[in-house]
Amino acid sequence: MGIHKKKKGNVALFFVGTQEGIKSFGESIQTLVNTILLTIVYLGGVGTAWLMCKISGRTFFTGKPQQEAKTYWEPLDLKKKPIEEYRRQF
Amino acid sequence: MYILGISCYYHDASAALLKDGVVVAAAEEERFTRKKHDTSFPLNAITYCLKSQRITMGQVDAVGFYEKPFLKFERLLGQHVQMFPKSLKTFVSAMPSWIHEKLHIRKSIKKLGYEGEVYFIEHHLAHAAASFLVSPFKKAAILTADGVGEWSTTTWGIGNEKEIQLLGEIRFPHSLGLLYSTITAYLGFTVNNAEYKVMGLASYGDMDKKTNSYYEKLKQVVDIKEDGSYTLDLKYFKYHYADRMPSQAMEKLLDGPTRKKETEVAQRHKDIAAALQLILEEAMTAMLKDLSKKTHYQNVVLGGGVALNSVYNGKILRNTPFKRVWIHPNPSDGGSSIGVALYIYHTILGKKREKQHQLSHAYLGPAFSTEEIQQFLDARGIRYSKFKNQQELIASTAKMIFDNKVVGWFQGKMEWGPRALGSRSILANPCNPQAKELLNEKVKHREHFRPFAPVVCADDALKYFDCDKPLPEITDFMLMVYPIKKEWHKKIPSVTHVDGSGRLQTISRKQNHLYYEVIKAFGKLSKIPILINTSFNIRGEPIVCTPADAYTCMMGTGIDCLVMGNFLIKRSDNEQDQWNSEHDAKD
Ligand SMILES: [Fe+2]
Repeated sequence: MGIHKKKKGNVALFFVGTQEGIKSFGESIQTLVNTILLTIVYLGGVGTAWLMCKISGRTFFTGKPQQEAKTYWEPLDLKKKPIEEYRRQF
Repeated sequence: MYILGISCYYHDASAALLKDGVVVAAAEEERFTRKKHDTSFPLNAITYCLKSQRITMGQVDAVGFYEKPFLKFERLLGQHVQMFPKSLKTFVSAMPSWIHEKLHIRKSIKKLGYEGEVYFIEHHLAHAAASFLVSPFKKAAILTADGVGEWSTTTWGIGNEKEIQLLGEIRFPHSLGLLYSTITAYLGFTVNNAEYKVMGLASYGDMDKKTNSYYEKLKQVVDIKEDGSYTLDLKYFKYHYADRMPSQAMEKLLDGPTRKKETEVAQRHKDIAAALQLILEEAMTAMLKDLSKKTHYQNVVLGGGVALNSVYNGKILRNTPFKRVWIHPNPSDGGSSIGVALYIYHTILGKKREKQHQLSHAYLGPAFSTEEIQQFLDARGIRYSKFKNQQELIASTAKMIFDNKVVGWFQGKMEWGPRALGSRSILANPCNPQAKELLNEKVKHREHFRPFAPVVCADDALKYFDCDKPLPEITDFMLMVYPIKKEWHKKIPSVTHVDGSGRLQTISRKQNHLYYEVIKAFGKLSKIPILINTSFNIRGEPIVCTPADAYTCMMGTGIDCLVMGNFLIKRSDNEQDQWNSEHDAKD
């Protein structure tokens, strides 16, 4: 009885192990595909945007202290808005 | 009317529930998943909030999210475009989570069975709301500072009744929070987790600007104007395009490579921590002085992770013209779930602020009844005894602490925020010179330089500590470090930091009757009514939430006994469950 149980346990273990192996293989493939696709998007999309910004002189931020500036505060006017504005995610 | 606030996907995911504008439940996801600083969608925290009021999502009137995800995504894309091609690696690693979950927050909320409106407010507005709208002030100046929200990293503004107006900002990548995190990383500690260790380490360094050479060096990294506004020289940083924070230029400037974890902390590291703290304090003081000049307000509220710098907080009223200060007990992103919920209630829906809306305590998490605790103890076959009444509980606990036992204290509703405030605390005798070493080595497994915090009854605080007068309400939340009066340094060595300060918690009888009485009873025995209060966890784990967490923690550490509800559980009576927590201690 005990041996029989043990055998069943081994078979079950084999299937669980196989399932886990397939799952982890699938995840690895997914990560690989994601990486390839995102690299293409990065080189194509982000690269093109970078080139356009270079040509037009647009920057998203500066990285050097400006000795002549009096303040680094930038004006902001964040106050109560119409309710629809809060339904937006941007 | 029920409003649910949610914050997640950056650090410290949390949920909070308002009932008619009063915060009735709030908790961080990490306490349920047992994963420190868990960022995932706070399903467990939401479930707890709803269960605490016996309601379903269908009965919730509005849900709020603590930031504008698309604006944040726009900033991220901007960063990648500007830093092309250096940002390839972080682009590839960050994008899947944005594509699969971070941009679908509305869908995740709807999946809970909620049909109503979801509101999104700006990240720093949520920080401002979390502090101002539950503060005792009708009008106050506001300063928020953190790592980064959407674009803002620091903002100033004003709060007036139920309205908040943010009028100035400093934008990413220039950030006091990220500067602090970068040096935290440089010093070999974990970012978004161990910044408070750097704050503790600073006291061991040279806090004199004239003699600490790293002060002048770090001044090359950050340019601070007279009004406190600042900018960073990005050549010293990498966080805007890589998964590493300090650049090689920073390592060169600070005379050596990034410290490896668990290696020796040298004097140089302590001086760098001190220089960083000096610079943070310089910028904050200048900003607050300027804010006082601009607003003419006497009250100030602070929000964002930088407001957890309790060493600086204790200096605000002495160094600036402000007369009163208030900070949310959970001022970083975790607390923003309360911020957005309050903003919806008061500002968007226009409901008046009343006295009952103020946050006078932080006991907002799950509690366990006597029956639930006993059921757990019996089911696990744990040996325990039951106190006859509260008097016995108070007297026995005080006596055990007086006899230098380390006591796990598990009572009532779990605290909201990063500090244990007498619901999930480890208590010990501050007069015992060995207590600090004992707690550090056998219980907390943490670095020897980190101080332990004292808890004192509010009516005794001024006798032992050199606090602001009147005592600011936020000392109840362990948000202020004050000097301990010199005559007590040697009498309470275990809570006196190397610079003679203590990060005290004050407590009133009204807030937490049992805790208050234990401190007073200990005072009768020792003549000093102060206890060591440290969070009930081991290093790297969230504070305990359930009876099972508390029991497991005690059995794996040097905690001698657990006072859980009306029950006393001794470690020595339950040896079969012991394990070695040192093995599992993380940063
Ligand atoms: Fe934040």
